[in-house]
Amino acid sequence: MNDTNASLLRNARPRLTRQLISGMCGIVVCLGFLSLSPVQAAEELVGNAVNAVGDFTVFRTDGIQERLEGKGSLALYEGDRVKTGSGSQALMEFTNGIQVALNEDTDFLILSRWEDGKGFTRILRLANGEVWVKTMGGPKPLEIETPVATAAVKETEFDIKVLPDGQTTLTVVEGIVEFGTAFGTCPIKTSTISYGNRGKKCTKPAPVDVAPNVAWAQGIRQ
Amino acid sequence: MMPRSRSTISPSAGLVLFLIALLTGCSAFAPPPKPEGLNTRVYTANESSNTVTVLDGDTYQVIGDIETLNYGAHDLALSRDGKQLWVTNLANGRVSVIDTESRKTIASIYTGTRAHVVALTNNNKHAWVANISDNTISIIDTTIFRILGTIPVGKGPMGIAFSRDGKFAYVSTQDKMVNIIDTSAHQVIKQIPVGPNPHFLTLGPDGNIWGTNTGSNDIYVIDTTTNEITKTIEVGPAPQQIAFALKGTAGPNAYVTVTGINKVVMVDATSPTLAIREQIDVGDGPNGIWANAVGTKIYVGHTQSNNVMVVDTGTSQVLSTLPVGRKPIRVVASR
Repeated sequence: MNDTNASLLRNARPRLTRQLISGMCGIVVCLGFLSLSPVQAAEELVGNAVNAVGDFTVFRTDGIQERLEGKGSLALYEGDRVKTGSGSQALMEFTNGIQVALNEDTDFLILSRWEDGKGFTRILRLANGEVWVKTMGGPKPLEIETPVATAAVKETEFDIKVLPDGQTTLTVVEGIVEFGTAFGTCPIKTSTISYGNRGKKCTKPAPVDVAPNVAWAQGIRQ
Repeated sequence: MMPRSRSTISPSAGLVLFLIALLTGCSAFAPPPKPEGLNTRVYTANESSNTVTVLDGDTYQVIGDIETLNYGAHDLALSRDGKQLWVTNLANGRVSVIDTESRKTIASIYTGTRAHVVALTNNNKHAWVANISDNTISIIDTTIFRILGTIPVGKGPMGIAFSRDGKFAYVSTQDKMVNIIDTSAHQVIKQIPVGPNPHFLTLGPDGNIWGTNTGSNDIYVIDTTTNEITKTIEVGPAPQQIAFALKGTAGPNAYVTVTGINKVVMVDATSPTLAIREQIDVGDGPNGIWANAVGTKIYVGHTQSNNVMVVDTGTSQVLSTLPVGRKPIRVVASR
């Protein structure tokens, strides 16, 4: 083994160990979340806001407001409402390994659904704005609710945008998203787009260039 | 000596005959099988104990309590097959889904601030939940428990009912209106002014929508062909909920719980102009009310005495009083 290889191995081992520990922690957190009782869930840490540019506010269920400016760690809990202002962006990391970037003028609630035998599904209720979502480290159940549609995912990267009238645009960067309104569901695959409108079934997926949907979230992720 | 005649029946055949006789004899005394549909289960939503009490509506026995795993159980909706019971929970804005066979809560779904009332669509595919403080209706898929949309309505939605054909939903709101929603578009298409504090809404046997104005002590009927109020009558202080049942050949009658006088007021629902025919004394704080499938009994829940009275509508006599959880707001029974 030459010096370069030995050095690479030395460097790789701690990194591999860190990744393994990180992965194990993720699994433990995920299993812990799934096995909680519905009452316990409200008190559990959901994740952290880790970066914000401009105006980013978290509204707690008791009315307290907290802000994050720049990089940091602001704890997020079930029932929190998060908002970005005009020209602002933010990034969140959930304890189960889901990354969520918020574009400007975005407003959503952090919720969950509990089912016997299945545990909890994390839900983001998007009232307005745009979020980019990427699940990492294996399948993670997540749903994004909008006034007219719901996107359900397990392992994917996508962008979803809601207009004030509820019109919803879903762009899937990678993977499959189960997209549905009260009038029908449409599986949306990689590099396709679908629209959800009030009183209508979601539109058939159409091919789209996903680069702009990824590009806006790159800045806040760095 | 006459030879003893030998029995022509072998011991084994005798045993068979004995068993047949035994079974035949038993069947003569066995009760006939209960006709399907008479296994009435009655459920109450107990707001202050966060439970649902299950009663046998035929034998008047308390079967048990089910934990909702949420806070402030308020309204109930039972699926047509009786297998799924939906419960709103005012305090924490969630609905609980109960599997009635296992008598367990199997799902908990956040709908909105102060989840108040719930109604299942006529095909039972969706549950509509009114969130008082959000001024919205959440629509939930009853198979996968996923919220599929939200409909904005007037201020403070209080009651929900669907038309017979399912084309319209009627939602009463605290701004003294009934909102009519086109269910194919999820849009409010009309608002009908009603009285102060309109509350409960239900589909009547005449195909019209019946509602209570708790603030003006009256009930009203909305004609679903014209979507206009066609009848109204004062029934007493703070009317709450309505059920329809028969009194012998008379009926269907609307039985209205009137909290302010601790009575159930019987209104002739067949009369061109509504008419009060009878007032039945019940317990303290009558609120929830439901009739059995054949319309011969009503089950009345009392929010102050924490019990359910079973009333025979033929004689208007109380047949039984059953203890339930604290502050039962809503009563429903299987079909």
